[in-house]
Amino acid sequence: MPETASIRKTIFMGIFPLMLLLLAGCAINGWIFHNSHKALISDDFIIVKTTDQDTFSSLAAYYLKDPDKGWLIAEFNRMTTLIPGEELIIPLSPFNKGGLNAKGYQTVPVLVYHNFSKKKSDKTAVGQDDFEAQMKYLKQNGFHVVSIDHLLDFIDYKGQLPEKSIVITFDDAWRSIFDVALPILIKYNFPATFFIYTDFIGGGKAMTWKQIETLSKIGFDIQCQTRTHRNLAVPKKNESFKEYFKSIEMEIGYPKKLLKKRLNIDCKYLAYPYGETNNLVISLLKKYGYRAAFTIDRKSNPFFIDKYRIHRSVIYGSYDMDKFKNNLTVFQKNELK
Amino acid sequence: MKKSIIVILMILMLSLFFGWTDPLDSFGNVGHKVPEKTSEKTQGEKSAFHPSYYLKRAKTYVNNDELQLALFFLKIAAVLSPDDMEIVGKISDLKLTIDNKSKKYFKKGKKFYNQNKIKAARKQFLIALRYNPDHKDALTYLKNKLIPKEYVNYTFEKNDSLKLISDKFYKDPELVFLIVYFNNLKSDTKPKPGEILRIPILESDFNQSIDDRRQDMISAKNLLGKNRFQEVIVITQKILANDPSNKDAIKLKDDAFYQIGIQLRSQEKYFEAIDTFKKITPEYDGVNGAIQLTVQHVLLKGENLLKEKKYEESIDLAEKILSDDPSNAAAKKLISISFCQHGKDLLIQKKYDDALKVLDKADPADGCVEKIRLGVKNAIKQQAEAHYIQGVKYFLNEELQNAIKEWEKTLKLNPEHDKAKKNIQNARSLLEKLKKVK
Repeated sequence: MPETASIRKTIFMGIFPLMLLLLAGCAINGWIFHNSHKALISDDFIIVKTTDQDTFSSLAAYYLKDPDKGWLIAEFNRMTTLIPGEELIIPLSPFNKGGLNAKGYQTVPVLVYHNFSKKKSDKTAVGQDDFEAQMKYLKQNGFHVVSIDHLLDFIDYKGQLPEKSIVITFDDAWRSIFDVALPILIKYNFPATFFIYTDFIGGGKAMTWKQIETLSKIGFDIQCQTRTHRNLAVPKKNESFKEYFKSIEMEIGYPKKLLKKRLNIDCKYLAYPYGETNNLVISLLKKYGYRAAFTIDRKSNPFFIDKYRIHRSVIYGSYDMDKFKNNLTVFQKNELK
Repeated sequence: MKKSIIVILMILMLSLFFGWTDPLDSFGNVGHKVPEKTSEKTQGEKSAFHPSYYLKRAKTYVNNDELQLALFFLKIAAVLSPDDMEIVGKISDLKLTIDNKSKKYFKKGKKFYNQNKIKAARKQFLIALRYNPDHKDALTYLKNKLIPKEYVNYTFEKNDSLKLISDKFYKDPELVFLIVYFNNLKSDTKPKPGEILRIPILESDFNQSIDDRRQDMISAKNLLGKNRFQEVIVITQKILANDPSNKDAIKLKDDAFYQIGIQLRSQEKYFEAIDTFKKITPEYDGVNGAIQLTVQHVLLKGENLLKEKKYEESIDLAEKILSDDPSNAAAKKLISISFCQHGKDLLIQKKYDDALKVLDKADPADGCVEKIRLGVKNAIKQQAEAHYIQGVKYFLNEELQNAIKEWEKTLKLNPEHDKAKKNIQNARSLLEKLKKVK
């Protein structure tokens, strides 16, 4: 027994640390095998020779630890389909954070919907068939629907987004969103953000708190759109400046506290009612720790957009497919050389 | 027992050192090693694991001005071939190029920023960032300085009070509560001198009511009808400060700028007209056409200056166009013809040095410029030859001093003229001998 203990001590105190050091040295710029294919691992990239078992998503899952990052591999290698035997480079960090190239820069459209109808579209509501056709168009034409968190990482120049990225949002918390739009979003596996104004919840045509909770539980993003949906940028008639200030402070602060209390949700983003804002509102948002806020200016967003004036395009019920497509600009031409 | 375990461990250690356990021996590669010849033969230049493949791709990216990707591929080649000093050199050269380019465009951006040309500045900062995605200063300008702030920083001074500051910024001491609120102060505490306070900027006429706005809109429309465009702009900007997305106000403001632009163009103030048109929202009907038409006017003016042989002025106009639109082919052509024509004129006037100085400023790849440059060089050669022959004539007439002067002129024009050098030497030696004989 003493002899065995001595050997163990020799291994752990002397040889084991040496082996660890050797292995650590081999971790950089080394060759490995995966799925019977050869891969070269470096600090910045991995090169793999693909097999028929691989997909962009499976490679991303294995090497980037995120199956949703398949697009990063596809876009770096400027490929749309993976051919077995093809040699691919897997970048280990974003390779184009701002989406810049010699011809211009990436922009991300943010769509905003309000009310829905099971029947045909009308002026105030988007019809079920039209919404289905719009989502189908996004899916079939290679758009990546991304979350607002990812959009903000792009705007903060921290993360890269797929070239054809888009964000989907819903304002006001109409019950029809839950009944009509939600099943279609789930069908296409699209993430979305729901901006709610809390006084509306539980009203006649609004979602209930239970429905909001369900949305959150199944992974949708719930964010704030004030308490009463007042125009934050304009004082009401006969409202003193002090009253106006108290009012907008409450509009910004109250729903944040309420969402935390009722659903344990951190409200980080705000959609301005009527899309309107001003310096005072933005100062208050920053004071209350909001990360960004959204207008309804019909434009797409480059990474250098003002975070508290992010553009969104309202999709109305009266829009045909051509008008819908006009809101999907993912690149702004501007010769950058 | 103990000895045998230690021996086994030693073997294991050695095997790790020399790659015995590496499963990739079948590929003939271990660690940093470059694939062996056999694998090169089968995979050739297409091999992802062969440096030459990546070097080739890096070169393509350099040619396409995608320098970051070129650098990425060079780094791959360097990993595959770590001992190749040529690749290391290429990486270092490319890094230097990237650095120089990004610095150049950042500097241009700062210049535009200081001139308050925000759009032009943004473009230069974006180019700087495209070349060097880690250019922190370019990013700071894009993300902070080019975005209007909703507050100002104010340094509290010895004789200040919060009410005084409120009065100074808001023309209302009662709004002191805003300063207290946004700086987490207590209403009865006084900040220390030097303390920086954040003061929210309130839009002018913050309390302007919707009725007032409507009244202002009506006034602005009337003023537009009376061609009082500057006043329209003042009123609409006031409305937009409170209500930035007011479409009617935006349209009226754009109408006014458009009309001012047209007026400036008719007064041949083309660049001022272009700057005015650029203040209009890009979606405004006809604004792009108006800018294009104005550029056409500038080009026409440039062509007329060219006809009048005012080359420097025509080049100056074309360069101004290019500073706004670097790909404008007509402006590039105007510059090229101007340099060429100027060089040709100076050639005809036998001002060879001046001609070469002008041609040196032109694009060396320009065919016309090269042709004229060749013409100048030939003319210099011919003139050198004429002086040489004149020198020979003097020599035959035994006018040695004059002959030397001519050959010296030859050498001034063509320092490589060996015969002239030799003849000068001979003539001087003859002169020496003649002196001695006398």
